[in-house]
Amino acid sequence: MRLRYCGPFFSAVGALVLLLAAEPALAQSRAETLRYVTGASVNTLDPNVPGSTREAFAVSLSTYDRLVSFGRKQLNGKWVFDLDKITGELAESYDVSPDLMKITFHLRKDAKFQDGTPVTADDVKWSLDRAVTAPVLGKAQLLTGSLTSADQFKVIDPLTFEVTLPKPDKLALPNLATVYPIIINSKVAKANATAEDPWAISWLKEHAVGSGAYVIESFKPGEQVIMKRNEAWNRGSPDKSAFFKRVIVQTVPEPATRANLVERGDADITVDLQASDIQSLESKGTLKVISTPQYNSVTFISMNNTIPPFDNINVRRAVAYALPYDDMFKAALFGRGTPLFGASWTDGKPTTSAFPFPQPIKLDLDKAREYLKAAGMPDGFSTTFSFNVGQASTAEPMAALVKESLARIGIKVDIQKLPDAQMSTQINEKKLPFFTEGIVAWLPSTDYFYRNFYTGNQRWNYSSINNAELTATAQEARFEPDKAKYDQDGLKLNAIHFAEMPQIALWQPSQDAVMATSIEGYTYQFHRQVDYRDLRRK
Amino acid sequence: MSSLPALFGVLVFTFLLMRVLPGDPAVFFASGPNAGKEEIEVIRKQMGLDKPVPQQLLLYLYDVGRGNLGRSLMTGQAVTTDLRDRLPASLELTLTALLIALVSAIPLGVLAALKPGSVIDHGVRLFCALGVCVPTFVSGLLLIYVFYYLLGLAPDPTGRIDVFTSLPPSRTGFLTIDFLLAGDLDGWWAAFRQLILPAATMALFVIAPLARITRASMLVSLGSDFVRTARSVGLSWWRIVVTYALRNAILPVITIAGIVFSTMLGANVLVEKVYSWPGVASYALDALLSSDYAPVQGFVLLMASIFVVVNLLVDVLYGIADPRVSI
Repeated sequence: MRLRYCGPFFSAVGALVLLLAAEPALAQSRAETLRYVTGASVNTLDPNVPGSTREAFAVSLSTYDRLVSFGRKQLNGKWVFDLDKITGELAESYDVSPDLMKITFHLRKDAKFQDGTPVTADDVKWSLDRAVTAPVLGKAQLLTGSLTSADQFKVIDPLTFEVTLPKPDKLALPNLATVYPIIINSKVAKANATAEDPWAISWLKEHAVGSGAYVIESFKPGEQVIMKRNEAWNRGSPDKSAFFKRVIVQTVPEPATRANLVERGDADITVDLQASDIQSLESKGTLKVISTPQYNSVTFISMNNTIPPFDNINVRRAVAYALPYDDMFKAALFGRGTPLFGASWTDGKPTTSAFPFPQPIKLDLDKAREYLKAAGMPDGFSTTFSFNVGQASTAEPMAALVKESLARIGIKVDIQKLPDAQMSTQINEKKLPFFTEGIVAWLPSTDYFYRNFYTGNQRWNYSSINNAELTATAQEARFEPDKAKYDQDGLKLNAIHFAEMPQIALWQPSQDAVMATSIEGYTYQFHRQVDYRDLRRK
Repeated sequence: MSSLPALFGVLVFTFLLMRVLPGDPAVFFASGPNAGKEEIEVIRKQMGLDKPVPQQLLLYLYDVGRGNLGRSLMTGQAVTTDLRDRLPASLELTLTALLIALVSAIPLGVLAALKPGSVIDHGVRLFCALGVCVPTFVSGLLLIYVFYYLLGLAPDPTGRIDVFTSLPPSRTGFLTIDFLLAGDLDGWWAAFRQLILPAATMALFVIAPLARITRASMLVSLGSDFVRTARSVGLSWWRIVVTYALRNAILPVITIAGIVFSTMLGANVLVEKVYSWPGVASYALDALLSSDYAPVQGFVLLMASIFVVVNLLVDVLYGIADPRVSI
């Protein structure tokens, strides 16, 4: 009897002994494995599928190559992507014709797909044709670089590929380095295409057939992706394969658990912790925290310029001078970011042609009351302030401060917390008068921001501004080859922004990458995810 | 069979409810940096939302009839596949938790009933009150903090199995059983270690109703005539308490356990989130937040079916506990 009772105990001990014995081998493979934890999930292996998540983008960067990729530069001592430096990925080199209308790519001779077949210009053509013609996300993105039709892509010989542009568009080449224009093994993809699905969209969702640095080992949507190194890949900066033999991308929904995992050394890197956790992890000093201002993103407090009373410019100005910027910055972000308020403009003109830019606004209740009087509403009004549940950790404290401060000039604010899908629906239908949202641009040039976020009756024009001068200037700047003139346009756009005050830019939050001290090479990327190919272990 | 109309009602109700909710999944999923009107339309068409609601409902019912619950935009998989992958995880967790809860609640309830008003009784009451009033995500985080973070005894709370352990061939979907079937004891131990903390977290929360109901019905049966008779004829203490009193007291406990089980399965979303457990509840919550219709509908249908099965099971157990009951 007694012995039988002890059975589980012995087997437990036995298992422990076995575990301990296996430890050295495990430790070895652990050092060569990168474990990345995230609150979001990977839902497709093809980033082009409508609805794909940012985590899916990050995985696709490792499994697929593009023709070109962005270089990197240092910004305040931290590595970030460099929009102005485009280097070859599958292309060994590229030439741009003098009239800027033709780009010729020379493919690498040694590039092979993961099944061992060589990458040819035909594959490139099929992949880019797919990106501009199939119902995929790449279509809208490539449009911003004047890449709209399959006729623009021409195979010269198996290793030479040519892109023709209708206009000299500065963003054509950078667009080919974004997430969507992946180069797919067209033979395999075509073999799995069907009559209803000639571009193999549903097949590629679950199969990655690229030439990238990592091969998918297992893919469980919403749980984890495990990838192993493609030994033949040599497109990394030092012409070697990627460092880690294995990469595990795992979904861990609870931010506190993610923080624990990294702190205990069970996970190597994460980028979506809560600001309060980052603060305490940083002060303990056992982990490396790299904070990079997301210089291609902005958080706004937006006002719908077509809904009264926000159609009145003086109301918008009153709100702009009644917000407690410093307190909000501390309460929402713990000061982790770049403020876009409190600038000083000596002659009342913008000092930079770049966007986003710091504006000379600060909390000044007297000024706010004057503007409110000028708007004919000295006693204030009532409105609602909305934010989505997904951003609650930063938006909730912010909303409380907005409410408190606006109450002091007589504006009564009701706070409305909306589920994410509901919020995006209402923004799309232009029904929210007053809310907070953030934007990101992959290719952060001034005209791109203004064209996409300040023109037209579309979702991303949060403030619903319709200013003829702004629209015309932004369109003109798009194709402006002369740098000095482009800067003039940028200054003009920024001046209009400040004068009209369609929405209030608050700050650029930091991307806080928390990682084990042994991890090196982290670079802030345009897609705001970790590019696993950048990382090494010391 | 008689539960089919109820299931049908649930199906239609959920379908309509999802459409009434003010969130447009197409807009949400077309959230790429450049998604415009065109992308929204593509998704809407893909989901069949461009058709009028009655027609959508008919199409949906037709699909469900053929065993197709639609496709999730969130995971990109068929809902049936998702649910089939995730249900065993939830069931394994819930069953283990229920087992832990029953094994601890029934003795606690019996002890409390044997000495009402004693220190033990008050101790059990305090324990139950604590278990109920601490929300599961608090107790979950607390357990993780103590056993994983401070003591390092528990494995990292990320799902059903350590990422470095290879999985056994899937037969039942219950990892602890699959590992045993495959004869892999190391694997079994790894899976068991992952399971124990979340199961304990859930068990803590449901021990209270089970222990309280055991105590109450034990008090009734201990005070009844047959127990007095048994005592007077000098039967052993064990026989009186377990064979006569407890067997008669167990009926309400079974009922409550059935209800507790169904609630746990759907409501363990917080535990699943805290422990990154790939179960159905956290799946349904994510789907609901992003207005992904098909998974939510599929989940509700699944829960309703499970509820029907559990009720049936409870009735069968009644018959075993009390031969006078016939189904």
